[in-house]
Amino acid sequence: MYQTKKSFINASMKMADLIFENPILLLPLEHFELEFLVQDKSVAQLCKENNISEEVFITVANYYNGFHTTSYENFTKADMEWILKFLKNSHNYYENEKYVEIQNLIQRLYEVNDAPEIKLIGKFFDEYFEEVKEHLSYENKIVFPYFDKLLGSENSGYKEEDSFSVNEYREHHSDIQSKLKDLKELLLKHIRVNNDRVLRRKIIVSLSELEYDLDIHSLIEETILIPLISRLETELK
Amino acid sequence: MKNRLVNIALLEPSDIVFEGLSNVFSKSKQYFKIFRAESLDEITSLSGNEKIDVAIINPSQIQNKTKEFSTTQKNLPDTCWVGLIYSLFDDELLSLFDKTIHITETPDKIIGVIDKLNDAESSNSASSGQGQLSDREIEVLKLLVAGLSNKEIADKLFISIHTVVSHRKNISQKTGIKSQSGLTIYAISNKIIRLEDYTD
Repeated sequence: MYQTKKSFINASMKMADLIFENPILLLPLEHFELEFLVQDKSVAQLCKENNISEEVFITVANYYNGFHTTSYENFTKADMEWILKFLKNSHNYYENEKYVEIQNLIQRLYEVNDAPEIKLIGKFFDEYFEEVKEHLSYENKIVFPYFDKLLGSENSGYKEEDSFSVNEYREHHSDIQSKLKDLKELLLKHIRVNNDRVLRRKIIVSLSELEYDLDIHSLIEETILIPLISRLETELK
Repeated sequence: MKNRLVNIALLEPSDIVFEGLSNVFSKSKQYFKIFRAESLDEITSLSGNEKIDVAIINPSQIQNKTKEFSTTQKNLPDTCWVGLIYSLFDDELLSLFDKTIHITETPDKIIGVIDKLNDAESSNSASSGQGQLSDREIEVLKLLVAGLSNKEIADKLFISIHTVVSHRKNISQKTGIKSQSGLTIYAISNKIIRLEDYTD
């Protein structure tokens, strides 16, 4: 998947060094609500101070460095709360930051490049953004409250009639990513360039950043969240 | 292919077998670089630094870890997975590998297996590249972006639905674009249809 030349993260490494090597690691810090001022702390210290389990943090951070470790069978309920926090915050990053940023860039592209396809690109993206919002709101309204309830929250907001089901959930996040790829293909291979080099570069970089985070987002959902649903459900019965 | 360096990760607990196999590779005319791994995770982490072309694994190392094995495989889609066999394993376990080599085989044969796997891999990735759409594919694309269903396209071109589906698959593979709205933009950019023809 995302092969990089980055370090395979372990607990004794210094967080700052890792960020120098791969600044994208700021994103998992942000999604977990950890301080950016990491000073000289090691990954282990950082986790201990914030009371987040090393296993959860290292697993997720390694996803960002391109490694997929496979030892999440031991995740606990407390770990789940961190994972949920992470996923909720990344929703916010998509909806209020990344998509809006790309939408604005595409609008500006339309001002400088009058190729007829550009208008269609704008429309393509707007429709796509609507689909994404629908998916995110499904997760915000049904999936997350369902989890909060499983974790024992009294006022999770989950109602029985919402009838959450793993299968429906699986179907839901199927191909959000494939349209992003379509956009990159079109901008790199097919649509005429006209005074828009800088803008186009910004759009492609931004699309790739979004794609990268979305990939990890669904990886976490598929490899951690979904297996945990079934485990927690059986434990509760 | 012949002179390209091939990176091999070896997951094998026995020192004797590891040394023996390394020796076989080092005597061949091919260039091999051998890494010794102690776990599947280590293969994953090795591949962060260098592309692992072939992973040779003693099946006992993935027994009871088949789920972990298949995620590792998914993470490293370009690696060939070879089982190294010197005792009995059940077929189900062995079917997880792309290929197996038996410890009693001659060095030439073992190297032959690895070579063949590698060639197959590289020609695979070459053929999946982009190409021009054929005339028929262009016809299908036009109807597709006009909003026709598979069945309607099949009726119009006097071909089966199955053929339409396979044309569509090829179109997406060649253009790299999957969604219908993306293909519409593609068709306009490449002057396959005119913007005026496109009504939403």
